[in-house]
Amino acid sequence: MKYAFFPGCSMESTAGDFRMSTLAVAEALGVELEEIPDWSCCGSTPAHATDSLLAASLPARNLAIAQDMGKDVVVCCASCYSRLASANVALAENADLRAQVAEITGREYAGGLKIRHFLQVLNEDIGLSEIKDSVVKSLSGLKVACYYGCLLTRPKELSILNDPEDPQLMDNIMAAAGAEPVEWPYKTECCGASFSITRTETVERLSGDILRMAKQSGADCIVAACPLCQSNLDLRQADVEKATGEKIGLPVFYFTQLLGHALGIPDAALGINKLMVDPSAILAR
Amino acid sequence: MNNPATITSVNQGLLEKLDPEGKLNLASCLQCARCSAGCTMRLETDILPHQMNRMVLMGMEDELLKSKAIWTCVSCHTCVSRCPMKVDTPALVDKLREMTQTAPSQDLEKINIFNNEMLKSMKQFGRVYELGMMGFYKMRARDLFSDLAKFPTMLLKGKMKIFPPRTRAAKSVSAIFDKVRARRAKR
Ligand code: SF4
Ligand code: SF4
Repeated sequence: MKYAFFPGCSMESTAGDFRMSTLAVAEALGVELEEIPDWSCCGSTPAHATDSLLAASLPARNLAIAQDMGKDVVVCCASCYSRLASANVALAENADLRAQVAEITGREYAGGLKIRHFLQVLNEDIGLSEIKDSVVKSLSGLKVACYYGCLLTRPKELSILNDPEDPQLMDNIMAAAGAEPVEWPYKTECCGASFSITRTETVERLSGDILRMAKQSGADCIVAACPLCQSNLDLRQADVEKATGEKIGLPVFYFTQLLGHALGIPDAALGINKLMVDPSAILAR
Repeated sequence: MNNPATITSVNQGLLEKLDPEGKLNLASCLQCARCSAGCTMRLETDILPHQMNRMVLMGMEDELLKSKAIWTCVSCHTCVSRCPMKVDTPALVDKLREMTQTAPSQDLEKINIFNNEMLKSMKQFGRVYELGMMGFYKMRARDLFSDLAKFPTMLLKGKMKIFPPRTRAAKSVSAIFDKVRARRAKR
Protein backbone atom coordinates (compact mmCIF):
# COMPACT_ATOMS: atom_id res chain seq x y z
CA MET A 1 0.00 0.00 0.00
CA LYS A 2 1.49 3.33 -1.10
CA TYR A 3 0.43 6.84 -0.23
CA ALA A 4 1.57 10.42 -0.74
CA PHE A 5 2.51 11.64 2.73
CA PHE A 6 2.07 15.21 3.96
CA PRO A 7 3.93 15.56 7.31
CA GLY A 8 3.32 19.26 8.02
CA CYS A 9 5.35 21.75 10.08
CA SER A 10 4.47 20.44 13.56
CA MET A 11 5.81 17.01 12.72
CA GLU A 12 9.12 18.66 11.89
CA SER A 13 9.38 20.22 15.35
CA THR A 14 7.10 19.91 18.41
CA ALA A 15 5.53 16.71 17.11
CA GLY A 16 8.72 15.03 15.86
CA ASP A 17 7.71 12.00 17.93
CA PHE A 18 4.40 11.78 16.04
CA ARG A 19 6.36 11.63 12.80
CA MET A 20 8.84 9.02 14.05
CA SER A 21 6.14 6.78 15.44
CA THR A 22 3.94 7.12 12.36
CA LEU A 23 6.76 6.11 10.03
CA ALA A 24 7.76 3.22 12.29
CA VAL A 25 4.19 1.89 12.54
CA ALA A 26 3.68 2.30 8.79
CA GLU A 27 6.83 0.31 8.07
CA ALA A 28 5.88 -2.43 10.51
CA LEU A 29 2.47 -2.80 8.84
CA GLY A 30 3.75 -2.65 5.27
CA VAL A 31 2.47 0.82 4.46
CA GLU A 32 4.65 3.00 2.24
CA LEU A 33 4.44 6.71 3.00
CA GLU A 34 6.21 8.68 0.29
CA GLU A 35 6.76 12.28 1.34
CA ILE A 36 5.29 14.89 -1.02
CA PRO A 37 8.43 16.48 -2.49
CA ASP A 38 9.01 20.05 -1.40
CA TRP A 39 5.78 20.29 0.53
CA SER A 40 4.99 23.61 2.23
CA CYS A 41 2.90 24.77 5.18
CA CYS A 42 -0.87 24.20 4.89
CA GLY A 43 -1.56 27.72 6.19
CA SER A 44 -2.98 26.49 9.49
CA THR A 45 -5.22 28.77 11.60
CA PRO A 46 -3.61 32.10 10.65
CA ALA A 47 -4.40 31.64 6.95
CA HIS A 48 -8.09 30.88 7.35
CA ALA A 49 -8.48 33.53 10.05
CA THR A 50 -7.13 36.25 7.78
CA ASP A 51 -7.70 35.47 4.10
CA SER A 52 -9.85 32.84 2.42
CA LEU A 53 -7.87 32.99 -0.81
CA LEU A 54 -4.61 32.34 1.03
CA ALA A 55 -6.30 29.53 2.96
CA ALA A 56 -7.14 27.82 -0.33
CA SER A 57 -3.87 28.58 -2.13
CA LEU A 58 -1.38 27.23 0.43
CA PRO A 59 -2.93 23.73 0.53
CA ALA A 60 -3.53 23.83 -3.24
CA ARG A 61 0.20 24.10 -3.93
CA ASN A 62 0.75 20.83 -2.05
CA LEU A 63 -2.22 19.11 -3.63
CA ALA A 64 -1.03 20.07 -7.11
CA ILE A 65 2.34 18.44 -6.40
CA ALA A 66 0.69 15.38 -4.87
CA GLN A 67 -1.57 15.03 -7.89
CA ASP A 68 1.41 13.93 -9.99
CA MET A 69 2.15 11.13 -7.53
CA GLY A 70 -1.20 9.54 -8.34
CA LYS A 71 -1.89 8.22 -4.83
CA ASP A 72 -4.20 9.11 -1.95
CA VAL A 73 -2.76 11.80 0.30
CA VAL A 74 -2.20 10.73 3.91
CA VAL A 75 -2.01 13.25 6.72
CA CYS A 76 -1.43 12.73 10.45
CA CYS A 77 -1.68 16.20 11.92
CA ALA A 78 -5.37 16.91 12.52
CA SER A 79 -4.91 20.58 11.74
CA CYS A 80 -3.17 19.93 8.40
CA TYR A 81 -5.81 17.32 7.62
CA SER A 82 -8.54 19.84 8.20
CA ARG A 83 -6.89 22.56 6.07
CA LEU A 84 -6.05 20.25 3.15
CA ALA A 85 -9.45 18.58 3.16
CA SER A 86 -11.29 21.88 3.43
CA ALA A 87 -9.37 23.40 0.50
CA ASN A 88 -9.82 20.21 -1.49
CA VAL A 89 -13.62 20.45 -1.18
CA ALA A 90 -13.72 24.19 -1.84
CA LEU A 91 -11.58 23.81 -4.97
CA ALA A 92 -13.65 20.93 -6.32
CA GLU A 93 -16.89 22.87 -5.84
CA ASN A 94 -15.88 26.27 -7.08
CA ALA A 95 -14.47 26.69 -10.61
CA ASP A 96 -13.91 30.41 -10.11
CA LEU A 97 -11.81 29.80 -6.98
CA ARG A 98 -9.93 27.05 -8.82
CA ALA A 99 -8.98 29.45 -11.61
CA GLN A 100 -7.85 32.16 -9.18
CA VAL A 101 -5.81 29.69 -7.15
CA ALA A 102 -4.17 28.23 -10.27
CA GLU A 103 -3.07 31.70 -11.27
CA ILE A 104 -1.72 32.38 -7.75
CA THR A 105 0.16 29.11 -7.29
CA GLY A 106 1.22 28.73 -10.91
CA ARG A 107 0.03 25.13 -10.82
CA GLU A 108 -3.16 23.53 -12.05
CA TYR A 109 -5.00 21.38 -9.58
CA ALA A 110 -8.15 19.80 -10.91
CA GLY A 111 -9.43 18.52 -7.56
CA GLY A 112 -10.36 14.94 -6.97
CA LEU A 113 -7.50 13.73 -4.78
CA LYS A 114 -8.53 11.74 -1.73
CA ILE A 115 -7.24 13.27 1.50
CA ARG A 116 -7.13 10.75 4.31
CA HIS A 117 -6.04 10.62 7.89
CA PHE A 118 -3.67 7.85 8.97
CA LEU A 119 -6.37 6.58 11.35
CA GLN A 120 -8.52 5.84 8.31
CA VAL A 121 -5.69 3.97 6.62
CA LEU A 122 -5.26 1.79 9.71
CA ASN A 123 -8.98 1.11 10.14
CA GLU A 124 -10.02 0.76 6.52
CA ASP A 125 -7.02 -0.32 4.46
CA ILE A 126 -4.97 -2.37 6.93
CA GLY A 127 -7.91 -3.52 9.00
CA LEU A 128 -8.26 -4.27 12.67
CA SER A 129 -7.70 -8.02 12.42
CA GLU A 130 -4.37 -7.50 10.65
CA ILE A 131 -3.35 -5.08 13.42
CA LYS A 132 -4.43 -7.58 16.05
CA ASP A 133 -2.34 -10.29 14.40
CA SER A 134 0.73 -8.03 14.35
CA VAL A 135 0.64 -7.25 18.08
CA VAL A 136 3.55 -8.81 19.96
CA LYS A 137 3.27 -6.93 23.25
CA SER A 138 -0.39 -6.69 24.11
CA LEU A 139 -1.49 -3.56 25.95
CA SER A 140 -3.83 -5.67 28.03
CA GLY A 141 -4.87 -4.12 31.31
CA LEU A 142 -4.10 -0.60 30.10
CA LYS A 143 -7.05 1.78 30.31
CA VAL A 144 -6.89 4.38 27.58
CA ALA A 145 -8.95 7.53 27.04
CA CYS A 146 -9.05 8.21 23.29
CA TYR A 147 -9.22 11.94 22.66
CA TYR A 148 -10.28 13.16 19.20
CA GLY A 149 -10.73 16.90 19.70
CA CYS A 150 -12.19 19.16 17.04
CA LEU A 151 -10.40 18.95 13.76
CA LEU A 152 -10.95 15.29 12.92
CA THR A 153 -14.52 15.55 14.12
CA ARG A 154 -15.95 18.75 12.73
CA PRO A 155 -17.29 20.10 10.44
CA LYS A 156 -19.30 17.07 9.44
CA GLU A 157 -18.49 17.41 5.74
CA LEU A 158 -14.78 16.88 6.47
CA SER A 159 -15.09 14.53 9.41
CA ILE A 160 -13.27 11.22 9.31
CA LEU A 161 -15.62 9.88 11.99
CA ASN A 162 -19.04 8.31 11.75
CA ASP A 163 -20.30 9.68 15.02
CA PRO A 164 -19.26 13.25 15.85
CA GLU A 165 -20.23 12.88 19.53
CA ASP A 166 -18.85 9.38 20.19
CA PRO A 167 -16.20 8.49 17.61
CA GLN A 168 -14.49 5.06 17.61
CA LEU A 169 -11.58 5.01 15.12
CA MET A 170 -8.88 5.33 17.79
CA ASP A 171 -10.79 3.21 20.31
CA ASN A 172 -10.89 0.40 17.73
CA ILE A 173 -7.14 0.51 17.22
CA MET A 174 -6.38 0.62 20.91
CA ALA A 175 -8.71 -2.34 21.48
CA ALA A 176 -6.99 -4.24 18.65
CA ALA A 177 -3.69 -3.60 20.43
CA GLY A 178 -5.14 -5.17 23.56
CA ALA A 179 -5.88 -2.03 25.57
CA GLU A 180 -9.17 -1.19 27.17
CA PRO A 181 -10.63 2.08 25.82
CA VAL A 182 -12.65 3.81 28.54
CA GLU A 183 -16.06 5.35 27.95
CA TRP A 184 -15.83 9.05 28.63
CA PRO A 185 -17.81 12.13 27.63
CA TYR A 186 -15.03 14.55 26.57
CA LYS A 187 -13.75 12.77 23.46
CA THR A 188 -14.58 15.64 21.14
CA GLU A 189 -14.39 18.67 23.44
CA CYS A 190 -12.00 21.45 22.40
CA CYS A 191 -8.61 21.74 24.17
CA GLY A 192 -8.17 25.42 23.31
CA ALA A 193 -6.08 24.63 20.24
CA SER A 194 -4.01 27.49 18.89
CA PHE A 195 -4.66 29.67 21.97
CA SER A 196 -1.85 27.75 23.67
CA ILE A 197 0.48 30.74 23.42
CA THR A 198 -1.88 33.71 23.21
CA ARG A 199 -4.51 32.73 25.80
CA THR A 200 -2.72 30.26 28.01
CA GLU A 201 -5.32 30.48 30.81
CA THR A 202 -8.05 29.47 28.37
CA VAL A 203 -6.07 26.40 27.34
CA GLU A 204 -5.34 25.51 30.95
CA ARG A 205 -9.04 25.69 31.76
CA LEU A 206 -10.24 23.68 28.76
CA SER A 207 -7.41 21.15 28.75
CA GLY A 208 -7.65 20.86 32.53
CA ASP A 209 -11.31 19.86 32.23
CA ILE A 210 -10.39 17.20 29.67
CA LEU A 211 -7.53 15.82 31.76
CA ARG A 212 -9.61 15.64 34.93
CA MET A 213 -12.49 13.96 33.11
CA ALA A 214 -10.14 11.34 31.63
CA LYS A 215 -8.77 10.67 35.07
CA GLN A 216 -12.21 10.43 36.67
CA SER A 217 -13.21 7.98 33.97
CA GLY A 218 -10.49 5.64 35.15
CA ALA A 219 -7.97 6.11 32.35
CA ASP A 220 -4.26 5.37 32.91
CA CYS A 221 -3.31 7.53 29.94
CA ILE A 222 -4.68 9.50 26.98
CA VAL A 223 -4.04 8.95 23.29
CA ALA A 224 -4.37 11.79 20.81
CA ALA A 225 -4.13 12.26 17.05
CA CYS A 226 -3.29 15.95 16.87
CA PRO A 227 -0.06 17.81 17.70
CA LEU A 228 -1.98 20.75 19.15
CA CYS A 229 -4.11 18.55 21.39
CA GLN A 230 -1.15 16.45 22.47
CA SER A 231 0.95 19.44 23.41
CA ASN A 232 -1.89 21.22 25.21
CA LEU A 233 -2.61 18.12 27.31
CA ASP A 234 1.01 17.04 27.84
CA LEU A 235 3.17 20.18 27.89
CA ARG A 236 0.55 22.21 29.79
CA GLN A 237 -0.34 19.46 32.26
CA ALA A 238 2.18 20.68 34.84
CA ASP A 239 0.68 24.20 34.62
CA VAL A 240 -2.82 22.79 35.12
CA GLU A 241 -1.61 20.87 38.16
CA LYS A 242 0.07 23.96 39.55
CA ALA A 243 -3.01 26.13 39.04
CA THR A 244 -5.35 23.71 40.80
CA GLY A 245 -2.94 22.08 43.22
CA GLU A 246 -4.24 18.72 42.07
CA LYS A 247 -1.95 15.99 40.73
CA ILE A 248 -3.11 14.50 37.42
CA GLY A 249 -0.11 12.56 36.12
CA LEU A 250 -1.67 11.22 32.91
CA PRO A 251 0.81 10.46 30.09
CA VAL A 252 -0.47 11.70 26.71
CA PHE A 253 0.65 9.57 23.75
CA TYR A 254 0.13 9.86 20.06
CA PHE A 255 -1.92 6.82 19.08
CA THR A 256 0.97 5.75 16.86
CA GLN A 257 3.33 5.61 19.85
CA LEU A 258 1.17 3.27 21.87
CA LEU A 259 0.32 1.15 18.83
CA GLY A 260 4.01 1.01 17.91
CA HIS A 261 4.84 -0.15 21.43
CA ALA A 262 2.33 -2.97 21.05
CA LEU A 263 3.84 -3.89 17.69
CA GLY A 264 7.18 -4.38 19.47
CA ILE A 265 8.91 -1.30 18.07
CA PRO A 266 11.56 -0.02 20.52
CA ASP A 267 10.40 3.04 22.50
CA ALA A 268 13.39 5.05 21.25
CA ALA A 269 12.19 4.67 17.65
CA LEU A 270 8.77 5.94 18.71
CA GLY A 271 10.10 9.12 20.33
CA ILE A 272 8.56 8.16 23.67
CA ASN A 273 11.35 9.98 25.53
CA LYS A 274 10.02 13.25 24.08
CA LEU A 275 6.85 13.12 26.16
CA MET A 276 6.70 15.55 29.06
CA VAL A 277 4.60 13.48 31.48
CA ASP A 278 6.74 10.41 32.11
CA PRO A 279 5.04 7.25 30.79
CA SER A 280 7.69 4.74 31.86
CA ALA A 281 5.69 3.38 34.81
CA ILE A 282 2.71 2.39 32.68
CA LEU A 283 4.82 1.06 29.81
CA ALA A 284 6.86 -1.13 32.14
CA ARG A 285 3.82 -3.07 33.35
CA MET B 1 -23.44 42.16 24.57
CA ASN B 2 -24.68 45.45 23.19
CA ASN B 3 -28.25 46.23 23.99
CA PRO B 4 -30.19 46.89 20.77
CA ALA B 5 -30.96 50.34 22.17
CA THR B 6 -27.31 51.21 21.71
CA ILE B 7 -27.04 50.24 18.05
CA THR B 8 -24.79 52.86 16.54
CA SER B 9 -25.35 52.23 12.88
CA VAL B 10 -27.18 49.80 10.72
CA ASN B 11 -25.86 48.28 7.55
CA GLN B 12 -28.87 46.83 5.77
CA GLY B 13 -26.61 45.16 3.26
CA LEU B 14 -24.48 43.32 5.83
CA LEU B 15 -25.98 39.89 5.23
CA GLU B 16 -25.58 40.35 1.50
CA LYS B 17 -21.98 41.47 1.99
CA LEU B 18 -20.99 38.59 4.29
CA ASP B 19 -22.84 35.82 2.56
CA PRO B 20 -23.87 36.80 -0.96
CA GLU B 21 -24.73 33.25 -2.00
CA GLY B 22 -26.49 32.24 1.19
CA LYS B 23 -23.99 29.44 1.80
CA LEU B 24 -23.68 30.15 5.51
CA ASN B 25 -27.45 29.81 6.09
CA LEU B 26 -27.44 32.86 8.33
CA ALA B 27 -30.99 33.83 7.44
CA SER B 28 -32.33 30.42 8.50
CA CYS B 29 -31.35 30.86 12.15
CA LEU B 30 -34.15 29.91 14.57
CA GLN B 31 -32.60 31.61 17.61
CA CYS B 32 -32.80 28.32 19.49
CA ALA B 33 -29.32 28.93 20.98
CA ARG B 34 -28.17 25.33 20.73
CA CYS B 35 -24.98 26.74 19.24
CA SER B 36 -24.36 28.96 22.25
CA ALA B 37 -25.11 26.24 24.80
CA GLY B 38 -22.16 24.21 23.55
CA CYS B 39 -19.82 27.00 22.49
CA THR B 40 -16.30 26.29 23.74
CA MET B 41 -15.68 29.96 24.43
CA ARG B 42 -19.08 30.80 25.94
CA LEU B 43 -17.51 31.87 29.26
CA GLU B 44 -14.99 34.23 27.68
CA THR B 45 -16.84 35.89 24.84
CA ASP B 46 -19.02 39.02 24.79
CA ILE B 47 -21.41 37.89 22.05
CA LEU B 48 -22.67 34.31 21.85
CA PRO B 49 -22.99 32.60 18.46
CA HIS B 50 -26.80 32.96 18.22
CA GLN B 51 -26.52 36.63 19.14
CA MET B 52 -23.82 37.13 16.53
CA ASN B 53 -26.01 35.66 13.82
CA ARG B 54 -28.92 37.87 14.86
CA MET B 55 -26.69 40.93 14.78
CA VAL B 56 -25.76 40.19 11.18
CA LEU B 57 -29.41 40.16 10.19
CA MET B 58 -29.88 43.43 12.06
CA GLY B 59 -26.96 45.00 10.22
CA MET B 60 -24.88 45.72 13.33
CA GLU B 61 -21.57 45.80 11.48
CA ASP B 62 -19.67 48.13 13.83
CA GLU B 63 -20.59 46.18 16.94
CA LEU B 64 -19.56 42.91 15.33
CA LEU B 65 -16.23 44.22 14.08
CA LYS B 66 -15.41 45.66 17.50
CA SER B 67 -16.52 42.58 19.42
CA LYS B 68 -14.30 40.30 21.45
CA ALA B 69 -16.23 37.37 20.01
CA ILE B 70 -14.59 37.40 16.59
CA TRP B 71 -11.20 36.99 18.30
CA THR B 72 -12.11 34.58 21.07
CA CYS B 73 -13.77 32.09 18.68
CA VAL B 74 -11.44 29.08 18.50
CA SER B 75 -12.96 27.66 15.28
CA CYS B 76 -13.92 24.42 17.02
CA HIS B 77 -17.07 24.04 14.87
CA THR B 78 -19.13 22.75 17.79
CA CYS B 79 -21.85 25.35 17.15
CA VAL B 80 -22.41 24.53 13.47
CA SER B 81 -22.23 20.80 13.99
CA ARG B 82 -25.08 20.98 16.53
CA CYS B 83 -27.14 23.58 14.67
CA PRO B 84 -30.43 22.27 13.25
CA MET B 85 -30.20 24.79 10.39
CA LYS B 86 -26.47 24.37 9.61
CA VAL B 87 -25.73 28.02 10.30
CA ASP B 88 -21.97 28.30 9.73
CA THR B 89 -20.87 30.58 12.57
CA PRO B 90 -17.11 29.85 12.34
CA ALA B 91 -17.13 30.75 8.63
CA LEU B 92 -18.95 33.97 9.56
CA VAL B 93 -16.28 34.70 12.17
CA ASP B 94 -13.51 34.18 9.59
CA LYS B 95 -15.22 36.66 7.26
CA LEU B 96 -15.60 39.24 10.01
CA ARG B 97 -11.95 38.81 10.98
CA GLU B 98 -10.98 39.37 7.37
CA MET B 99 -12.77 42.73 7.55
CA THR B 100 -10.85 44.02 10.55
CA GLN B 101 -7.18 44.77 11.17
CA THR B 102 -6.89 45.14 14.92
CA ALA B 103 -8.42 43.56 17.99
CA PRO B 104 -10.36 45.63 20.57
CA SER B 105 -7.90 45.12 23.44
CA GLN B 106 -4.20 44.55 23.98
CA ASP B 107 -4.95 41.14 25.38
CA LEU B 108 -6.80 40.03 22.24
CA GLU B 109 -4.33 41.76 19.97
CA LYS B 110 -1.89 39.02 20.97
CA ILE B 111 -3.91 36.64 18.80
CA ASN B 112 -3.50 38.98 15.87
CA ILE B 113 0.23 39.35 16.47
CA PHE B 114 0.63 35.59 16.73
CA ASN B 115 -1.22 35.02 13.45
CA ASN B 116 0.86 37.62 11.68
CA GLU B 117 4.17 36.26 12.94
CA MET B 118 3.22 32.76 11.88
CA LEU B 119 2.25 34.00 8.41
CA LYS B 120 5.56 35.84 8.11
CA SER B 121 7.40 32.69 9.03
CA MET B 122 5.51 30.69 6.40
CA LYS B 123 6.21 33.33 3.77
CA GLN B 124 9.92 33.47 4.54
CA PHE B 125 10.68 29.77 4.93
CA GLY B 126 7.80 27.98 3.21
CA ARG B 127 7.23 26.21 6.52
CA VAL B 128 6.82 27.51 10.04
CA TYR B 129 10.06 28.15 11.93
CA GLU B 130 8.69 27.83 15.43
CA LEU B 131 11.58 29.07 17.52
CA GLY B 132 12.10 32.17 15.37
CA MET B 133 8.40 32.90 15.22
CA MET B 134 8.03 32.57 18.99
CA GLY B 135 10.88 35.02 19.51
CA PHE B 136 9.28 37.68 17.32
CA TYR B 137 5.87 37.03 18.83
CA LYS B 138 7.17 37.43 22.36
CA MET B 139 8.86 40.71 21.55
CA ARG B 140 5.91 42.18 19.72
CA ALA B 141 3.33 40.99 22.24
CA ARG B 142 5.57 42.14 25.12
CA ASP B 143 5.20 38.73 26.60
CA LEU B 144 8.83 37.82 27.14
CA PHE B 145 8.76 35.65 30.19
CA SER B 146 5.83 33.26 30.04
CA ASP B 147 6.81 29.67 29.29
CA LEU B 148 10.49 30.57 29.30
CA ALA B 149 11.21 27.69 31.64
CA LYS B 150 9.86 25.28 29.03
CA PHE B 151 12.26 26.22 26.24
CA PRO B 152 15.39 24.40 27.49
CA THR B 153 13.49 21.14 27.96
CA MET B 154 11.84 21.50 24.58
CA LEU B 155 15.16 22.11 22.87
CA LEU B 156 16.75 19.24 24.75
CA LYS B 157 13.96 16.89 23.79
CA GLY B 158 14.24 18.07 20.21
CA LYS B 159 10.71 19.44 20.35
CA MET B 160 11.94 22.69 18.91
CA LYS B 161 14.61 23.12 16.30
CA ILE B 162 17.21 25.81 16.66
CA PHE B 163 17.66 26.47 12.96
CA PRO B 164 15.00 27.45 10.44
CA PRO B 165 13.74 24.90 7.91
CA ARG B 166 15.52 25.07 4.57
CA THR B 167 13.22 24.24 1.70
CA ARG B 168 13.12 24.82 -1.99
CA ALA B 169 9.45 25.59 -1.45
CA ALA B 170 10.18 28.95 0.19
CA LYS B 171 10.39 30.90 -3.04
CA SER B 172 7.12 29.69 -4.49
CA VAL B 173 5.29 30.10 -1.17
CA SER B 174 6.52 33.66 -0.90
CA ALA B 175 5.19 34.30 -4.41
CA ILE B 176 1.79 32.93 -3.35
CA PHE B 177 1.65 35.44 -0.47
CA ASP B 178 2.59 38.31 -2.79
CA LYS B 179 -0.03 37.41 -5.36
CA VAL B 180 -2.78 36.99 -2.76
CA ARG B 181 -1.90 40.38 -1.28
CA ALA B 182 -1.90 42.05 -4.69
CA ARG B 183 -5.36 40.67 -5.36
CA ARG B 184 -6.57 41.73 -1.97
CA ALA B 185 -5.38 45.28 -2.56
CA LYS B 186 -7.45 45.38 -5.75
CA ARG B 187 -10.56 44.02 -4.06
S1 SF4 C 1 -28.17 26.53 16.75
FE1 SF4 C 1 -28.40 27.31 14.67
S2 SF4 C 1 -30.54 27.83 14.49
FE2 SF4 C 1 -30.12 27.60 16.67
S3 SF4 C 1 -29.63 29.72 17.33
FE3 SF4 C 1 -27.68 28.71 16.82
S4 SF4 C 1 -27.37 29.30 14.69
FE4 SF4 C 1 -29.51 29.69 15.11
S1 SF4 D 1 -16.58 27.71 16.42
FE1 SF4 D 1 -16.41 29.58 17.66
S2 SF4 D 1 -18.52 30.21 18.00
FE2 SF4 D 1 -18.60 28.08 17.32
S3 SF4 D 1 -18.62 26.88 19.21
FE3 SF4 D 1 -16.48 27.07 18.59
S4 SF4 D 1 -15.72 28.89 19.68
FE4 SF4 D 1 -17.96 28.96 19.77
